[in-house]
Amino acid sequence: MTSISLANVCKKFDGAAPVIRNVDLEIAAGEFCVFLGPSGCGKSTLLRMIAGIEAITSGEVRINGERMNEVPPARRRVAMVFQNYALYPHMTVRQNMEFGLRQARTPPAEIENRVAEAARVLQIQPLLDRMPRELSGGQRQRVAIGRAIVRKPNVFLFDEPLSNLDAALRVHMRSEIARLHRDYPHASVVYVTHDQTEAMALADRIVLLRAGSDREQQGSIAQVGTPLELYHRPGSLFVAAFLGSPRMNFLPVVIAAIDPDGVVVRLRDSGETLRVPVAAGTARPGDAATLGVRPEHLQPIAPALSGPAPQTITRAVRAVERFGEYDYVYLTGADGEDVIAKLGGGTGVSTGPLTFSVPPGSCHLFGTDGMTFERRAGG
Amino acid sequence: MAERRAFAVSRIAVPVLGLFWLAVTSLPFLFVLFTSLKTAQETFSSPVWALPESLNLGNYVSVLRGFFLIYLRNSVFVIAVSVTLIVLISAMAAYALARLRFRFNKPLFGLIVAGMIVPLHITLVPIYLMTRDLGLYDTPFALIGPYVATSLPVSIFILTEFMRQIPRELEEAAKLDGCGPFTIFLRIFLPLSGPGLSTVAIYNGIALWNEFIFAYVLTSTPQHRTLPLAVWDFQGEYASDIPAMMALVTLTSLPLIVAYGFGQERIIKGMMAGSLKG
Repeated sequence: MTSISLANVCKKFDGAAPVIRNVDLEIAAGEFCVFLGPSGCGKSTLLRMIAGIEAITSGEVRINGERMNEVPPARRRVAMVFQNYALYPHMTVRQNMEFGLRQARTPPAEIENRVAEAARVLQIQPLLDRMPRELSGGQRQRVAIGRAIVRKPNVFLFDEPLSNLDAALRVHMRSEIARLHRDYPHASVVYVTHDQTEAMALADRIVLLRAGSDREQQGSIAQVGTPLELYHRPGSLFVAAFLGSPRMNFLPVVIAAIDPDGVVVRLRDSGETLRVPVAAGTARPGDAATLGVRPEHLQPIAPALSGPAPQTITRAVRAVERFGEYDYVYLTGADGEDVIAKLGGGTGVSTGPLTFSVPPGSCHLFGTDGMTFERRAGG
Repeated sequence: MAERRAFAVSRIAVPVLGLFWLAVTSLPFLFVLFTSLKTAQETFSSPVWALPESLNLGNYVSVLRGFFLIYLRNSVFVIAVSVTLIVLISAMAAYALARLRFRFNKPLFGLIVAGMIVPLHITLVPIYLMTRDLGLYDTPFALIGPYVATSLPVSIFILTEFMRQIPRELEEAAKLDGCGPFTIFLRIFLPLSGPGLSTVAIYNGIALWNEFIFAYVLTSTPQHRTLPLAVWDFQGEYASDIPAMMALVTLTSLPLIVAYGFGQERIIKGMMAGSLKG
């Protein structure tokens, strides 16, 4: 069982701002860890530094407790699956899978056994004597995974392995990779993707990375946690905005009151008030903040007959997108800002004002610094 | 409508231009072939484009009885060794320049590329002196050094650009498979550079097969001269045996034509290498 440890890792290319800044991370043995983030956040660079094909500017990478900074890639007992497969085009599938083992001078009988076993697991036996150009995208990806498996690595590294596949095949290969992880539980997996669905479906833990000026100020890692932790308890506005489709609604608010049960906020556009069960910290009444509510947490209710009901918002419907299974209802606020509600399919909503209940437990409050207000116990 | 008209024009223009180009390239060769089958007297008495009165192979016999086969042997030896060295050295240099990170990589590449603009003729005297001092004058080895040296800049330029197109991930995959730089070059880059290597081999092979000036300056006896100099055997101070010269030109061109006939597909692929996305 192999763990990976990154301590204060930084990466800077010649004359440019650091692409990786102050990464401290522990990946447990056998864990499936996904690096997720927007383009340019350095997730692939971080993976390549673990693989040893990218030099580390400062900090330390340890695999199984052993410092790896100076160890060449082949001696790290890691195997990598590349986005564009990186199969050697002039070799057959079998030769591709054997190549690394031959370089390591593995006995021929052992090579044959390992290739046969990997081919059986991935169901690619009929492809062994074909050239990569004769394979479909999905088959190539299987071969690339097979090439990784035969090396019996301690760590599997996947660099956006499904990006080049069509949507249906992506879903299929996603389950194949999950199965692979179950079949090789001793090996840790580090998986890079920009696709939050992939990350949510596969990860034991997600490492969400930032890009741009936020990275300069706060370091590369925005939040580390299980997929549901990140989804339901985002640590910052960036995390909340990145996860979820459609993304979380953000409404500018002013803190109206602070009491032992939480914070009462007033929406800037409509004046409606909502209670959020968070600790106010250093915030004071009158301070600006941002309220976050996920589209699926807005539930339509019948409007109250006498004045606005507590913990509700009312908006005019601007447009409805119907997907059968669910509808996206686009609502327009007083200052023109869109709010999206995700409702079950066949609601029949079309026009007119709609009132939505906003459960306090589904509300998130972000300060002007973009950080989440700490949630009260049981909130 | 306009598209259909453009299509119709291209349907006519392309074959017409193709036939025109065929005439431009094949007529000189037909002239050489016809003349080589005439007698010396017939050359002067009949019109230039007239067909030979009979198939007179006497010119070919006299060429083959002379030093032709020795010239051919020298040409084959010099070109085979030179092209092998050019391909090997330029491929290794190109890999280093395309993929290895070292100090002065870019300036070095610029310097090598700048070598392409050095006029050949200003190097003749120093090369002649060096060859003579090394004791190589009038040997086939006298030609190999200058041929390799003058061909390297353009060959390195072609192969460096070609190798830059090879996906970096293949190199990284090979590193993870335990390969060092030399194994990556030998097992990955060299096999994948086939079209580029063909381009370099074909380009230099043709250029050196017809190379005249170094062969003229650095060799002096028929025992060590190459084919482009053979024509001199049939040109005296006051008279020229034109049909024999044409027979020689035909025989000299023959290996290239045969090579093209057999390797047409590969040659075209090689010349097109890098021009289209694969």
